[in-house]
Amino acid sequence: MLITIAPGALCILVFLVLPSAYLVGMAFLTNGPYGLPTLPLSLQSFRELAGFGFLGWSPGNLYTLIRSVWQTLLATALVILLAYPAAYYISTRPARWRPLMLLVIVVPSWTNQVIRSVGWMNIFAPGTPVSDFAALLGLTAPQMGLFPSQFAVIVGLVYNFLPFMVLPLYAAFERLDTEQVEAAKDLFASPVAVFRHAVFPQTLPGLMAGTVLVAIPAFGMYVVTELLGGGKATMIGNLVARQFAQASNWPLGAAGAIIMIAVTLIGLKVLRDLGRRLGGDREVVL
Amino acid sequence: MRRGGLEYALRAFWIVLLVFLYAPLAVVVFFSFNSINSSARFAGFSLQWYERLFRNEAIVSALTNTVVLALVSTLIAVLIGGLLGYGFYRYRLGRLSWLIWLIYLPVIMPDIVFGIAEMTFFVAINERLGILSPGLGTMVIAHVTFQVPFVALLVNARLLSLDPQLFEACHDLYAGPWQRARFFLLPVLRPAILSSFLLALTLSIDDFVISFFTAGPQSTTLPIYIWSAIKKGVTPEVNAIATLMIGSVFVVALFSLLAQHGASGGKQSKGGTKA
Repeated sequence: MLITIAPGALCILVFLVLPSAYLVGMAFLTNGPYGLPTLPLSLQSFRELAGFGFLGWSPGNLYTLIRSVWQTLLATALVILLAYPAAYYISTRPARWRPLMLLVIVVPSWTNQVIRSVGWMNIFAPGTPVSDFAALLGLTAPQMGLFPSQFAVIVGLVYNFLPFMVLPLYAAFERLDTEQVEAAKDLFASPVAVFRHAVFPQTLPGLMAGTVLVAIPAFGMYVVTELLGGGKATMIGNLVARQFAQASNWPLGAAGAIIMIAVTLIGLKVLRDLGRRLGGDREVVL
Repeated sequence: MRRGGLEYALRAFWIVLLVFLYAPLAVVVFFSFNSINSSARFAGFSLQWYERLFRNEAIVSALTNTVVLALVSTLIAVLIGGLLGYGFYRYRLGRLSWLIWLIYLPVIMPDIVFGIAEMTFFVAINERLGILSPGLGTMVIAHVTFQVPFVALLVNARLLSLDPQLFEACHDLYAGPWQRARFFLLPVLRPAILSSFLLALTLSIDDFVISFFTAGPQSTTLPIYIWSAIKKGVTPEVNAIATLMIGSVFVVALFSLLAQHGASGGKQSKGGTKA
């Protein structure tokens, strides 16, 4: 028993639980002279995170948190809108084509996330056809690129997480009980009603799994926002990282990390309740 | 016909989706062959960025680091994680059963938080004990730590899907621990071990954030190199490195496709694809 469990348990305890506990503890320390945490214990970093600095209250950090939640919700909604038809389309193709089509969806996500962002930077840079077209439509000022911007961040998020929604939705569509759909059609249900009553409930577990896989990492995103947002659409992850990378205020960063985990847990709880309500008596496992 | 309309709409949607998915990669590949330093205008075909690349020692060492980090951490993680997945299945943990829940920690923990926790932890240890100075070693530790839970969960899931009577049969045949491992566990767990190996490898190669925060000055990986190059505003060379990485991903994809094809072609009736 020791041989099998001890190495893994030790690895997780020492290198995952212990560092996390250390980080949590750091949030309750005071910011020292070189950005390094020192005693005494205080709630100073949480006050600072809420916006109470020596210049009085400012809502900057609060805006960042709200923007993070908003961008996560928006990106997840867009991913769902794209993934539903894609998953349905794949599931209606001949069986021998489906593995290839899934592979085609997944392959871009095998490249590193930095590279994927570089791709969008190339497309949205000033002077590219896409940017020129956007300027022509009056969406951006001429000679300006589409990045860095909140728009570019959303595109980057959707691009990054699309496969994580398509795969579980496809799995749900493949198990779909088509007789229910046929029955609904026989009863002269409109296409919307067919979707609402026969398709949606059956794909709900896949949708829930996909939402967890998309929304959690999207909320913690660092690379896409840093590269494509360039300071214009920072999310909470960037705010936290900045406190450490530039060694300005470790306790503040640690407090931000705690808030990130708290928001993630709240989000999971909300999703679970939502799943229960939408699923009715169905078991929506999360 | 309504049905035909929907079919055409879906087909058009699929094509647009493919353009969306592949345009960023195609642009990177295309402009890596540009003869001028621009990602807006193509001035002619040239391989100059690739020539610079292979003469750049920093990039060659970043490439080596990337491969070493991915392979070493994956091998360790599959070993430790596989054992853990088996241990969780085989033994009742009693008072230690809460350990299993810790496995889900990396799933809800944003990688930026994990990376920063690792970094501050390593710094604290290093200050007091003088060990674990940032470098390839700390990166391997961090990667193994986030890979282990995924491996353990996959192996555990496979074991749970097996008939418990198989284990009793092993026992009845007086198989010792080694024989049980060699002739029963390893063969039945082979698919799970293989897929967890691939998953762990993908997780390691795709990771940037955790590597970034645990890396030392001598242990730059390709994504970290690209990151700092972009921040300095060097684009065409970045496109060339990125193209090489995209190329290797497509080689792997091709192999996986061939393997899939071979598997379903060999045993048509019970192949991996559901007919």
